[in-house]
Amino acid sequence: MKHAFIDRYSHLQSPVHRLDARLKFILALLAIAVLVSEPPGKLMPFAFYGAIVLVVLILSRLPVRFFLKRLLILAPFFGMAALFYPLSYWLAGTGLGEDGMQKAVLVALSIFFKALLSVSFLILLISTVKFHDLLAGLRKLRMPKLIGILSALMYRYIFIFWDETLRTNMARNSRTPGNLKMNRFTVYGNQMAMIFLRSWERAHMVYNAMLSRGFDGEFLSFGQKETKRKDIVFGAVFVLLLAAIRVFGGL
Amino acid sequence: MHIADGIIDARICLAAHAVSAAAIYFAGRKTPAEEIPKMGISGSALFVASLIHIPIAGTAIHPGLYGLAGIILGKRAFPVIYTVLLFQALIFQHGGLLTLGVNALNMGAGAFAAHLIWKQKYLPESIRAILAGLIGVVVPAAMMTLEFEWTGYGQGIRYVFSIYIVVAALEGLFTWIVVKFFRKVKSNILN
Repeated sequence: MKHAFIDRYSHLQSPVHRLDARLKFILALLAIAVLVSEPPGKLMPFAFYGAIVLVVLILSRLPVRFFLKRLLILAPFFGMAALFYPLSYWLAGTGLGEDGMQKAVLVALSIFFKALLSVSFLILLISTVKFHDLLAGLRKLRMPKLIGILSALMYRYIFIFWDETLRTNMARNSRTPGNLKMNRFTVYGNQMAMIFLRSWERAHMVYNAMLSRGFDGEFLSFGQKETKRKDIVFGAVFVLLLAAIRVFGGL
Repeated sequence: MHIADGIIDARICLAAHAVSAAAIYFAGRKTPAEEIPKMGISGSALFVASLIHIPIAGTAIHPGLYGLAGIILGKRAFPVIYTVLLFQALIFQHGGLLTLGVNALNMGAGAFAAHLIWKQKYLPESIRAILAGLIGVVVPAAMMTLEFEWTGYGQGIRYVFSIYIVVAALEGLFTWIVVKFFRKVKSNILN
């Protein structure tokens, strides 16, 4: 079965794809932290962060349509979160006044742009690195060992679960043609429990097979590259740009 | 229910990361080796469950199953939920990296509360299952409301989040159906 929902464009060849997975993760996290720390009320810095996103998008050769589609799916949720800011005062009956309302709208816009740009960095990260390389990179960055093992197991098991889901979907649809009117919750609940039970046995077999091949909690990844000079140069330029925007962007 | 980056105050996010790290340590220490596949399976189930959408009233909802995670995993639900949220943030951009700690604490607290309810053996199993599913949504929603207020949102945000009561009721019902199925087919999962 096809599983295109994970790292769909990670196989592309580009300067961004060739960077060390650990470096990309650190830079994405740093970019998010810096832009989230921007004080609300000034919108100009977000244009500069947007320019960085655009440059990295061009360098990564990702399809712009895919990138925009992901953003468009998520943008309404961010819009709602932003809208709730002035709305939360209105619902509480605490008037903001004209000045207050203007400030609230600026804060709402800041929230929207922060969320949108943060998710842009996340999309760029996950689309330019193979997921198992990213997990291996996180383990090298000393992620807690238990989380490292769980993430490696989950990465194997979700395909088993998803296959079971597709099979049981087919079975459900063939037994209940058209829209379900009655007992909808029971049908979906039983399907979920069935997926869980069927995968349970298979996942145990997968784990036993891993143990018999010498699995000791450590996962090897041959895709992990050594940090090269160009990684360091890219990282340094990226950090300097972020610092410059954070310090001078609001002037 | 996942809070994206940029919405909550960065200081709350950093504090939540610190508390999450402590919670992972305390919930995960001395985990027996045979428990690990069970935790991985449950994490994958939670992840895949979020992909199944149930059509209802012209829209679609997906179960969170945080209450069910509390029932099956008990206090070990926290590291599992943390990993699931990391996957959801990276793969689907549901939630964020900076808000990972906040989201994990919210959902993890819901799962822990569900675990405490499930342990009240004097109540009938159906009631415990419904309450566990329900509380698995109500606790995260209440914590989210507080976090939004601490960020600077007005108190009206409480009305917005009160809509989660409906979601919680549906989740309680869903959890009961799943628990009933497990009891009938493979009851040792619930022990």
